Amino acid sequence: MDPLLITLAKALLLCLTLLGVFAYMTVIERRILARMQHRLGPNRVGPFGLLQPIADAIKSIFKEDIVVSAADRLIYFLAPFISITFALSAFGAIPAGPAGSLFGFDPWIMDLDIGLLYVFAATSIGVYGIFLGGWASNSKYALLGSLRSSAQLISYELGLGFSALTVLMIAGTLNLREIVELNVWSVSPLLWLPLAVAFFTFLISGIAEVNRTPFDLPEAEQEIVAGYLTEYSSIKWALFQMAEYVNMMTAAAVVSTLFLGGWRGPGFVDAFIPGMSEWPFIWLILKMAIFMFLFIWLRGTLPRFRYDQLMRFGWVYLFEIALGAALLAGAVIVFAG
Amino acid sequence: MATFLILAVVMIVGAVGVITLKQPVHAALALVGTLLTLAVTYVTLEAHFLAAIQVIVYAGAIMVLFLFVIMLLNIQGETPPAVLAWFRPLAYIVAVVAAAAIATTAFMEPRSLPDEVQIATALQGGGVEPIADVLFSDFLLAFQLVGVLLLTGIIGAVSLVQRKVVAVQEARADGATKELEHA
Repeated sequence: MDPLLITLAKALLLCLTLLGVFAYMTVIERRILARMQHRLGPNRVGPFGLLQPIADAIKSIFKEDIVVSAADRLIYFLAPFISITFALSAFGAIPAGPAGSLFGFDPWIMDLDIGLLYVFAATSIGVYGIFLGGWASNSKYALLGSLRSSAQLISYELGLGFSALTVLMIAGTLNLREIVELNVWSVSPLLWLPLAVAFFTFLISGIAEVNRTPFDLPEAEQEIVAGYLTEYSSIKWALFQMAEYVNMMTAAAVVSTLFLGGWRGPGFVDAFIPGMSEWPFIWLILKMAIFMFLFIWLRGTLPRFRYDQLMRFGWVYLFEIALGAALLAGAVIVFAG
Repeated sequence: MATFLILAVVMIVGAVGVITLKQPVHAALALVGTLLTLAVTYVTLEAHFLAAIQVIVYAGAIMVLFLFVIMLLNIQGETPPAVLAWFRPLAYIVAVVAAAAIATTAFMEPRSLPDEVQIATALQGGGVEPIADVLFSDFLLAFQLVGVLLLTGIIGAVSLVQRKVVAVQEARADGATKELEHA
């Protein structure tokens, strides 16, 4: 078969899966949050509220699509599509299993030598969606949301980059498949400390990059209505929501891939069923599920940062800690490696 | 070649948009488009690392900052008052001369493209290593100097802002004492 055709088929399958998971993540999130707050949550549509996403989808398609008359039409229209397109494409470089494990095909869309940089590049273009959407709406609150999001994303990209640098120095490659195959924790026990620190700084920066609580200032509803989303309705609003959840999934997948062995399972399961730790998909999905739960848990637990706290935390603490971890890892590699 | 021609046309249209569009945000977006097309061109040349860096640094960081400033100051597409009336015709002349110079060089001394096999071996799949190899050996001095240059720029920017803040604070303090004296 034509390799291009196979790649296209895999990409289509991945997009549909991500969007399907998005639909159910909205229900799961609302149910978990409800449980944490002693409420019931959506449980009317279908058994356990399982048909809720379908009802929501029909609702958002048939709702009136309001276009602000003073909006910059073209950019207002393009912004949600930029968001969702780049959110979906960022996921393509993440490997989900050993080579040839997807019915004889490789379980990834692209095996790039610059894999991690590709993910960073795609997400950094995705920022334009939020940024331009808020500006094109021609509204104070939306513009404030946009400005907040761009300042936040640029600030936390530093922490993210330096945390990733620790892993890259240890692995010696940017290829996500090779990073998983190497397992960065097995290189040297001396590197466990910088790796552990980098894991936490990466996770925190990742949450900030996907605008989740406690970093959800771009859409802080008590202060600026809904930030960049204020003037969006109907399907365009839904596209922004999709992009946010897909970005969350990408963040979860990247953290798992860089720090927790990606698609590989823990070694001890091989004692029960030989070869179980090499099974494709399930381990990555399990790890992503844990992180998704963590994101929801944090939303149910933590209050939002104040704006100056957000900036101080990003520039004064997170960045320096991530930089320190990277320096420590470098020193260990040079002097003890 | 067809791919390159399409990309070249998109890039030129984008570049013309940067200088002709009235609305600053549109102009900045045209520049983003140009930079992204350039990144795609790098991908077609198998220079993946360069393409990724092009997107992350230029489109992802620098242009976001440009747009941030444009939006923060809420600059609209207003034409500045013509202080320098003689400037416009001069600018046209300079542009025409420069375009003519480039065109003459391009057509008088046409250069053939380097052999694709040769490029592929030099780039080794467009990864990080071939670039790092030369950057940290042959061009180490230049690389370090660029670092110093950037640091100088940052220090300059900080000192400019700092002076302004101090001046404002002193002015405020003066105002406060005067108010006190007045009372």
